[in-house]
Amino acid sequence: MIEVKNVTKKYGNVVAVDNISFKINEGEIIGLLGPNGAGKSTTMNMITGYIEPTSGEIIVGGLNIEKKPKKAKRKIGYMPEGVPLYTDLTVKEFVTYMAEIKKVERKQRKEKVEKIIEQTGLKEVEKKLIKKLSRGYKQRVSMAGALVGEPEILILDEPTVGLDPKQITEIRNLIKELGKKHTIILSSHILSEVSQICDRVIIINKGKIIAIDTPETLENKVNKTNSIYVTVEDPENKMETIKDKIKEIKNIKKVNENEDKTKQYIIEAEGKQDLRKALFTELAKENITIFEMKKPDATLEDAFMQLIEGGDK
Amino acid sequence: MLAIIKKELKYYFCTPIGYVFIGIFLIAFSISFYLTVLTYGNVNFEYIFYSTPTIFVLAFLIPLLTMRSFSEERKNGTEQLILTSPLSITKIVLGKFISAMLVTIITSIFTLMYFGILCYFGMPHISTAITAIIGFILFMMAYVAFGIFASSITENQIIAGIISIAFFIITWVMPSFNSNLESISFINMLYGYTLGTIDIADTVTFISFTIVCILLTIIVMQRRKSVK
Repeated sequence: MIEVKNVTKKYGNVVAVDNISFKINEGEIIGLLGPNGAGKSTTMNMITGYIEPTSGEIIVGGLNIEKKPKKAKRKIGYMPEGVPLYTDLTVKEFVTYMAEIKKVERKQRKEKVEKIIEQTGLKEVEKKLIKKLSRGYKQRVSMAGALVGEPEILILDEPTVGLDPKQITEIRNLIKELGKKHTIILSSHILSEVSQICDRVIIINKGKIIAIDTPETLENKVNKTNSIYVTVEDPENKMETIKDKIKEIKNIKKVNENEDKTKQYIIEAEGKQDLRKALFTELAKENITIFEMKKPDATLEDAFMQLIEGGDK
Repeated sequence: MLAIIKKELKYYFCTPIGYVFIGIFLIAFSISFYLTVLTYGNVNFEYIFYSTPTIFVLAFLIPLLTMRSFSEERKNGTEQLILTSPLSITKIVLGKFISAMLVTIITSIFTLMYFGILCYFGMPHISTAITAIIGFILFMMAYVAFGIFASSITENQIIAGIISIAFFIITWVMPSFNSNLESISFINMLYGYTLGTIDIADTVTFISFTIVCILLTIIVMQRRKSVK
C-alpha cells in the first residue's frame, strides 16, 4: 500500500531523514515511534506529499506521490501534528470544506459528512465554532477531516497528544475500529499506546530506522535477566536460606519492607528456567507465606530505550 | 477551487474584514465624492476614482484583504490541510486570488450608488464611468495579486501587510521622483481609464503584472515543498 524507497530529507546540511525504506501492507496499523526530533513528522509529511524528499521515492497505493499527486493524495487522509484547524468555521462547515477540497462528489457529500460527524462523535457540537471546542473535540474534528472522503490510508501524527485518559481511550478505540477498513500509520511517543493498537512498529532515531517489527517481537528481543519478584511474610527470616535449597538461584535481594511486615525480594536465577513452581513449594515448606509472585514483563519501553541507546553508541 | 473561493468568502464576510474593507472604502469614496463633485460642482463620476482619498485608503485596505491569505495558513498549519488535499497549488492560489478579487468587485459595484446620485442631479457620462470602473478594478487586481504574493513569502501577516503597503506607496509616489517612471506607474495608468480611454498597453500591463504575481506565488508555494 505504501512503499518508501531510500528516502532522504535534508534541511541545508542537517539530515532530518536518512535513507529510510519500508513497506506497509494493506490493512495494517503501523506505529511510528521515536524520540522528539527523530524524523517522524518529516516522514509523515513526505508520505502525504506536503514536503518533497531530497532523494528517494514514495509510492502510495501504486502511485508516485510526486508524479501523480492528485490521484495519490485522494487515497490519503492526514491528521497533522498539533491539529491545525480553521477555527472560525463550525464543525460541520469544516468537515464539509474538507469534503469539498477532497473532491467528494456533490451528491454524496452531505450524506458522507453526516456519517463522519456521527462516527467521530461530533453530532452534539456540529454547529459550534471550532475555536470554542475543547482540545479533545478539536482532535476529533481533525480526525473527521482526515476521514472524510473515505481514504484508504490514514496518517495520524500524534493523535492522542494532550488528551485526558478518557479521551485517549476513546480515540484509541476509534483508531482500532478504523483499522479494520483502513491502512493506518500513526506516530506517537507513548509506547503502551503503540503496543496496544499497532500491528507493526517502526522505531526511528536521528532520521534512521533502527527497527521494524511487531511489538511482541521487539519486546522479546530485549535481553532481560531471568528474575522473579516475590512479596512474602517471613517472620523467621528464613528467606536467605532458600538460596541453598534451590540451586538455580543466583541471588536473592531484598528490595522493600512493607508496613504490613511483608518483604519484597528479587530473585535472580541462572539460565532461562522458570523458578516459580520450585519457589512456591520450597517457600511453603519453610512456612513463608507468599503474598505476591510475578515475572516482570519486558515492555516496549525497554526495547525502545535499548534500541535508542544502542543506536547512540 | 470553488471550495477555496467559498471558504475564503465565508471568511471575509463572517469576520469583520469584508465589512471593514467595504465600509472604509466607501467612507473614503464619499470624501472624494464631496471633494470632486460637491466642492467643484462637476458631475464627473470618474474623477472620484483617481482622487487622493480613494487611492490613499486603498494603500491600506488591499493589504488588509490579502495579508492573511497564505501567511495565516502557514502559521496555523492549516496549510498542511490544503497542500495535502488533491487540489493543485495553482487552483489554491487562484482560489485565494479570485475570492479577494470578488470582494473588490463587490466594493466597486457599491460605488455605482454615487453614479445614481449624479444621474439624479445631472448628466454624467456613462461610458466614461464604465471605463473608470473597469480601470479601477484592473488597478486593484494588480495590487491584490501582489498582496497575495507578499503573503506567500512570509508566515507573519504583519510583515506581509507592510510589504504590500510599502509596494503600494512606492509605486504611488514613484513618478514624482523621476518623470521616466511615469509611464510605468499604475496610478498614471488608472488616470488614463478615468479619461474614458481603454489603453491596450495599460490593460496588458495590469493583466501581465497580475499574472506574474500569481505565477510567482505558485512558484513560491511549490518551492516551499522542497525547502520546507
